[in-house]
Amino acid sequence: MNESNPLREYELNLTRRQLFGRTALGLGTAAMANLFGSDLLAADGNDGAVKAGLHHAAKAKRVIYLFMSGGPSHHDLWDYKPKMQAMFGKELPEHIRDGQRITGMTAGQKTLPVCPSKYKFTKQENNDKGVWVSELLPHTATVAKDLCVVHSTYTEAINHDPAVTYIQTGSQIPGRPSLGSWLSYGLGSMNENLPSYVVMHAKSRHAEQSLFSRLWGTGFLPSDHQGVLLRSQGDPVLYLSNPAGVTRKDRRTQLDALAALNQEQHKRFADPEVLARIKQHELAYRMQASVPELMDLSQENDETFKLYGEEARKPGTFAACCLNARRLAERGVRNIQIFHRGWDAHGGLPREHESQCKDVDQGCAALIKDLKRHGMLDETLVIWGGEFGRTAYCQGSLTKENYGRDHHPRCFTTWMAGGGIKPGITYGQSDDYGYNIADADGNPMRPKPSRESWTPGTMHIHDLNATILHLLGIDHKRLTHRYQGRDFRLTDVNGHVIDDLIA
Amino acid sequence: MNGARRELNARYPAGMLNDAADAVFPMTKVSTARRQDTKEMRRMKISITTAYLAIVVALVSVPVHAADDRGELPVDFAHEILPILSDKCFVCHGPAGEAKDVLRLDSFAAATVEIDGHRAIDPKNPEKSEFLKRLNSSDEPMPPADAEKQLTARERDLLRRWILQGGKYTTHWAFVAPQKMPPAGSSNATKNEMIDAFVGARLQGQKLAFAPAADRETLARRASLVLTGLPPEPKLLSAFLADNRDGAYERFVDVLLDSPRFGEHQARYWLDAVRYGDTHGLHLDNRRGIFPYRDWVVQALNKNLPLDDFIIWQLAGDLLPNPTLAQRVATGFVRMNPTTAEGGAIPAEFQAKNNFDRVETLGTVFLGMSMTCARCHSHKYDPISQTEYYRLMAFFNSTAEHSMDGNKYEYGPVLKAPANIAAWKQWSELELSRDKLLAAARPHLKKLDDVELPEEKKWDAANAKDRLAMVADPKGQFITLELHKQAIELTGRIEMAEKGFTTTLVAEDLAKPRTTRFLTRGEYNQPTGDPLEPGILTAMGAFPKDSPRNRLGLANWLTGREHPLVARVLINRIWQRTFGNALVRTPEDFGLQGQQPTHPALLDWLAVELHDSNWDLKHMLRLMVTSRTFRQSSAWRKDVADPENQLLARGPSHRLDAEVIRDIALWASGSLDPQMGGEGVKPYQPGGLWSALMHPASNTKNYVQDKGTKLYRRSLYVYWKRTSPHPMMTLFDAPSRESSCVRRSRTNTSLQSLGLLNEVQRVELSRMLAERLLREADNETKRLDLLFKLLASRKPTARERAVCTKLLQSLKERYATAENDALALLSTGDAPRDEKLNPGELAAWSQLAITVLASDVALLLY
Repeated sequence: MNESNPLREYELNLTRRQLFGRTALGLGTAAMANLFGSDLLAADGNDGAVKAGLHHAAKAKRVIYLFMSGGPSHHDLWDYKPKMQAMFGKELPEHIRDGQRITGMTAGQKTLPVCPSKYKFTKQENNDKGVWVSELLPHTATVAKDLCVVHSTYTEAINHDPAVTYIQTGSQIPGRPSLGSWLSYGLGSMNENLPSYVVMHAKSRHAEQSLFSRLWGTGFLPSDHQGVLLRSQGDPVLYLSNPAGVTRKDRRTQLDALAALNQEQHKRFADPEVLARIKQHELAYRMQASVPELMDLSQENDETFKLYGEEARKPGTFAACCLNARRLAERGVRNIQIFHRGWDAHGGLPREHESQCKDVDQGCAALIKDLKRHGMLDETLVIWGGEFGRTAYCQGSLTKENYGRDHHPRCFTTWMAGGGIKPGITYGQSDDYGYNIADADGNPMRPKPSRESWTPGTMHIHDLNATILHLLGIDHKRLTHRYQGRDFRLTDVNGHVIDDLIA
Repeated sequence: MNGARRELNARYPAGMLNDAADAVFPMTKVSTARRQDTKEMRRMKISITTAYLAIVVALVSVPVHAADDRGELPVDFAHEILPILSDKCFVCHGPAGEAKDVLRLDSFAAATVEIDGHRAIDPKNPEKSEFLKRLNSSDEPMPPADAEKQLTARERDLLRRWILQGGKYTTHWAFVAPQKMPPAGSSNATKNEMIDAFVGARLQGQKLAFAPAADRETLARRASLVLTGLPPEPKLLSAFLADNRDGAYERFVDVLLDSPRFGEHQARYWLDAVRYGDTHGLHLDNRRGIFPYRDWVVQALNKNLPLDDFIIWQLAGDLLPNPTLAQRVATGFVRMNPTTAEGGAIPAEFQAKNNFDRVETLGTVFLGMSMTCARCHSHKYDPISQTEYYRLMAFFNSTAEHSMDGNKYEYGPVLKAPANIAAWKQWSELELSRDKLLAAARPHLKKLDDVELPEEKKWDAANAKDRLAMVADPKGQFITLELHKQAIELTGRIEMAEKGFTTTLVAEDLAKPRTTRFLTRGEYNQPTGDPLEPGILTAMGAFPKDSPRNRLGLANWLTGREHPLVARVLINRIWQRTFGNALVRTPEDFGLQGQQPTHPALLDWLAVELHDSNWDLKHMLRLMVTSRTFRQSSAWRKDVADPENQLLARGPSHRLDAEVIRDIALWASGSLDPQMGGEGVKPYQPGGLWSALMHPASNTKNYVQDKGTKLYRRSLYVYWKRTSPHPMMTLFDAPSRESSCVRRSRTNTSLQSLGLLNEVQRVELSRMLAERLLREADNETKRLDLLFKLLASRKPTARERAVCTKLLQSLKERYATAENDALALLSTGDAPRDEKLNPGELAAWSQLAITVLASDVALLLY
């Protein structure tokens, strides 16, 4: 096809470089080469790069992030506080709140009555001292031996928009790249027939939060690292299907003509970008086959649906998203995120959380078990959590049966499992009110994110993100992108990898 | 007191020096290197504690022309050395120096101080400079062995030469006001030849010549796309191609500059920069009334409002004497920051956050500089102290709106303004008639020569509206005049026009300003120190004398002749949208960490010319697009290895922006609705995209697609929901408009291919384009000619014609035997198909059209 001359060689090399820089395949290595010197390109092929990680050996090949938007109540799900029962309705002791700022929603409330959980907790065996799990999560309780439950996650933001933006982008103000786009930027894809970063929105009966495309957006990173929505309505990937009356064969004919036109353009202008685009049209054509194959659940057997529940047959349910996540993982998608809304239980918490837990509980457990039976759990990092927790005191009127809880940033529960994570442990603890992170003796602590020091037993959201990157072979301090003269990173100026969690 | 110190004190008011010294806060970046470094420096017993050293970049403005007796090339401090110091040294040895005993390398004065018999730079005995020793030291190297950023061999060599040549400092180029410095041999060049003189000089330095000119068809398409965002109208194109007289191209360019499409296209770049959106942007992301601002921008650019006024009105139109409606609407700029009313959000926190956003956007848009660092600590690289940041913030801290938007469309203060551009035009005419009438009426008040009557006093104190009421007053003193009748009639017309007005957010100041204080570490609840006066960045000139200490004074500072950055930053972005890449390739950063201009003297010449031309945008664009540089063929050259086209040895080429890609299809199909302005329109969008994200209480949770002509408006007018912009926009790199964007990425993805070939609107428009081809031309050759004339401004090449003919043949055969498929394809979109046309043939042509529309023939600027 191409005559042999040095300029052509130069152009083609350039084209390859541009392709590596701009398409999914090998993008990580491209980012690496730009940022850290070309020696990293020595990693042999894709798989080599995966094992090698970007900066160090990766413990996980991929990540599935189950994001519970709105702030699940750690009090009612994970953080068992039997001593609160005796305090029912009494004022939260001042030394516990300790000047903590509270949101405008409860700031005007005359009292802050202690609100113990109405739910029964059972101690599940794990690989350490066991973990208490609420009756709202019966399925998740069965995988306790795989979970690393962190009771001491914290943030500074106290409202949804800033808090969710903070945990997903490292900044409370919009404009920074999301966690997922950093991963895409750093690692690229293992399957160029599918997007490298896939986002799903699971249905919820109480979808009372907003999500924002910035949560999977790229900020100032090149926009091809943005999360691709895998949707349950219409085309699973936007604009995937040919228009009515256009068959796959028609498209083939059309793409051949398109390539010929672009070749002609290239002959006139020799712009390597043109060749790169020809390749993208071909990838799109392949994606038109690979996505329907991905979404076709007829290959799944009854055992799968026993695991995930019949709900998984309904597109868009959390269970269906979890099943999709496993199927995406199998196909080499590295970076998968499921957003489930409706955890913002200011009032009527029992009714709402019961429904929310019903949405997610079986899917979470099934995903862990399913990854395990496919031999993929040890290379897949699974994360479950929200942007903050909920208060120990009641918002609105308090009865034994019904109550609400406001936003609480100072202490909440997140769990992780799989790739590189110590299975079956708990980490950190809260005080008797589930209000503050506490030391081993139960005394409240006031950790602060700092670039120099880190308080053992605590996990700031920057620490969580640093640890996620670390498990995927990335040094969070070195995955940077220069914008406006500054080398930005996901963890801003903070973040500590929590070695205690790492297997 | 030594000379450097004296000069320092003369140039920087004491306050500033103290600020800088006070503003010692932890730095942005974690660096083990720094700690290490500090320790080492202590070991060296270098102890510099004097406050005056905490000063911005550089003080001795001596250009480095010293002859080097080693026969080495003299280094250029500003362009070669300072970027290295900034990137590799200033983290520890820079303006935000944390500990007082750390050596500072950001000024000559600091770097040459003698400590214990050593000087980092010893100008008298350069060989003895400690800097040089440490640069080459293996046991105590600088940067330390574990520093994140190490020097390259080239950088070491440059630093070595710099020290040996005396280690002189000059000010960072971007902080020195630009001057016109024409290249050698260009003394006879006219203004129109200056761009080429600069570019040609650099090419000559590389022993290169300009590329041959692009053919006229290609050039016409290029100029039209650059100026108006659309290909040239076939008639205009034919006229240009047939015009063999001198100046044909210049006349063609003038037609484009006069087109109303010009302002629509140019406005887009500004709206990205100021983060224009039709929604509040946070939490519920509800609708907000602001589109009259967008329409004002379009008109200001079409009318070629001088760019200094363009800036002044936006920052401070409300503070001008007797501001016009347009001047007040322009202040929507100040209100563009995303806002929230999330339940539980703390007003004081968002008062601070809204202000941060404004200060930082001001930095990006006008100063080409990040201010963000200085929110929490003095800037590490650039001469911006934390106190200055908060002084700048004080300009915005007293605007009248509440920090919570109440989720309201009418988030006050608001005004009522014309609801589209036709209404604006009508309004301007009414204002003009009113002003004429009032001018005619005024003399009738004056009865005596030297005594001012009460009526006159009242008149002179009144605004235009009240004056008109005085003339129209049935009990007033004008009742005998014809003017009185005219005033009544005009009042009626004005009232009619005002009935159609719509809400727009504007800026106003509180009667009693809010107090602004320094916020420790940028925490809203940690204000410290005395109240701060509004103030500017002292590294960029002085606050203009006689200007009020409010947003108007701020605008006067920015647009002042002495401001080193604003004109450069603006002209750089104008160049970027004309040539595809900017002269400073980091248009968002002109600071020490930014890239050097590819053509520094050209940038400066253009910046000064922008001032000299009275901020005439159209003049500047005319200079650019009529230059030989712009007219070059954009084919990649075999004799030039310059993939990024830094030398400008070929014409511009790049993929077009999202809006242009969509607009070309609208325009080529003949369905582009020319109506300008008005509320954002909602074309086809896949179902459920908004509802999957939005809070049930949000009034943007349901996307209700528009009907009829609104489907076919220019993309500039597509409704911009900031938390979920239209996917055909974001797919092709449009920003979310939550934060300022002065440079879009240009990606190339498989998802774009899917959008180009499958999206409902593109399928529909391709069919409409096919209908046009079938109607307007009567055989295949002519139809292909028309298709290519529309999309490429030229006839197809033989190869292109062959490819199209073959595809067409195969599609015709396919659809001839599958009428249902043809009809299904032709039913895509709201517009009915032309039933007079044969469905099989129309289907074949429509698939051909969508293919050519998706090809690089149509998708690229070249």
